[in-house]
Amino acid sequence: MSEQNKSVQEKLSQLSELVTWFQGPEFKLEAAFDKFKQAETLAEEIEKDLTKLKNDIKVVKKKFDSES
Amino acid sequence: MENNQLQLSVSEFVALTNQTLDYAFPTVSVVGEVTEFRISQGKWVSFKLKDADAVVGCFLVLNQLRQPIQDGMKLLVVANPRLNNKGFFSLNVRAMKPVGEGSIKKGFDLLKAKLEAEGLFSPERKRTLPRVPQRVAVVTSTESAGYADFCKIINERWGGLSVEVAHTQVQGVPAPDQMIRAIRYFNSLDVLPEVLVIIRGGGSAEDLMAFNDEPLARAIAESRIPTLVGVGHEVDHTLADMIADVRAATPTNAAEILVPDRNEIIRAAHQRAASLGHQLTQAIDEYSQRTRQQLEAAYRRMQEKLDENFERLATLRLATAQLNPENILRRGYAFLRGEVVEGSTIEIETTNSIAQAEVKHVRTK
Repeated sequence: MSEQNKSVQEKLSQLSELVTWFQGPEFKLEAAFDKFKQAETLAEEIEKDLTKLKNDIKVVKKKFDSES
Repeated sequence: MENNQLQLSVSEFVALTNQTLDYAFPTVSVVGEVTEFRISQGKWVSFKLKDADAVVGCFLVLNQLRQPIQDGMKLLVVANPRLNNKGFFSLNVRAMKPVGEGSIKKGFDLLKAKLEAEGLFSPERKRTLPRVPQRVAVVTSTESAGYADFCKIINERWGGLSVEVAHTQVQGVPAPDQMIRAIRYFNSLDVLPEVLVIIRGGGSAEDLMAFNDEPLARAIAESRIPTLVGVGHEVDHTLADMIADVRAATPTNAAEILVPDRNEIIRAAHQRAASLGHQLTQAIDEYSQRTRQQLEAAYRRMQEKLDENFERLATLRLATAQLNPENILRRGYAFLRGEVVEGSTIEIETTNSIAQAEVKHVRTK
């Protein structure tokens, strides 16, 4: 589960990098269209990943009613 | 004096009395007002509980004291009645808590002042929580409505979390120690969770008293894992949530603080991608405009060059025109062809005629 979560984090980071590229000095019109398509794909994947992720909630077996 | 009556040594009498007390009153719960509260040798706590007609001594060791006590507070003590070897009867306190609104508040204020003086509430101590944690520990009663609300909200808002829950009591005398053990358990794991959440739903001031316990407050302060505490309702303030790194108003609010809303993240991701589309369109517009401006500037420069050349041409034309022999004839001059010597024939051309003439005389100028 956390690996999937990590991949969402990576995709969010990649999206941020693309936004930074668009606003930075390395911006080139020739490459911008491909980068824009990448951003759209990432947004789609983030939606898909986040929608399907489930939490894993476990109650620990240890008892806390006495020192042991 | 009867001879067959049991004769006891003093020690035996004390032991027998204590056995009888153990049998008849293994524990007693006594309510009274504190008087003559004292801590001896930094180790022993003694005070008396009184009401209008009677007074009884109470005794406990200092580390059993869960919060500061002052004379005048009303306490409920759970204790074993004992007769000690010096002949003093007292209650050996197992647990105690303030009772009545005034005493509960007094106990809270005393402990708050004590912890505040140690700087345990200071903002510099507060750690930030990770924006998106992956491993979370929760200390709560899994049977409580607050826990159900917490789970519902984290499942709605986020996914991929690994949550470990320690089930403990969250009210009553055993609750603080159970929660302390759970906090220590999570802090002893090889891989620490990223956030330690302690939650409990609403309740009366007395229900929430477990969260105003000094050892629990200190266990939260000592936690190596950043803490998020949500106890009761918005209006409830406990020492546990004041000492936590982050305070949540309720268990639901704790879930909202713990994880972002996936729908917001999805919306934001699409918005960011769309904003790049706008930037791309804008960049294309700017490039087009710049190219158009450059072409216009080039055209203007060409036009200027052409104009300059046309101007020069006109000047040259004028100069050339001035040199045209026809124009000279038009101004009244004439061309003369032939040798100018007496007796010769010469040709004279004017603007509109050509004449032949004989040279009759030549005079040197």
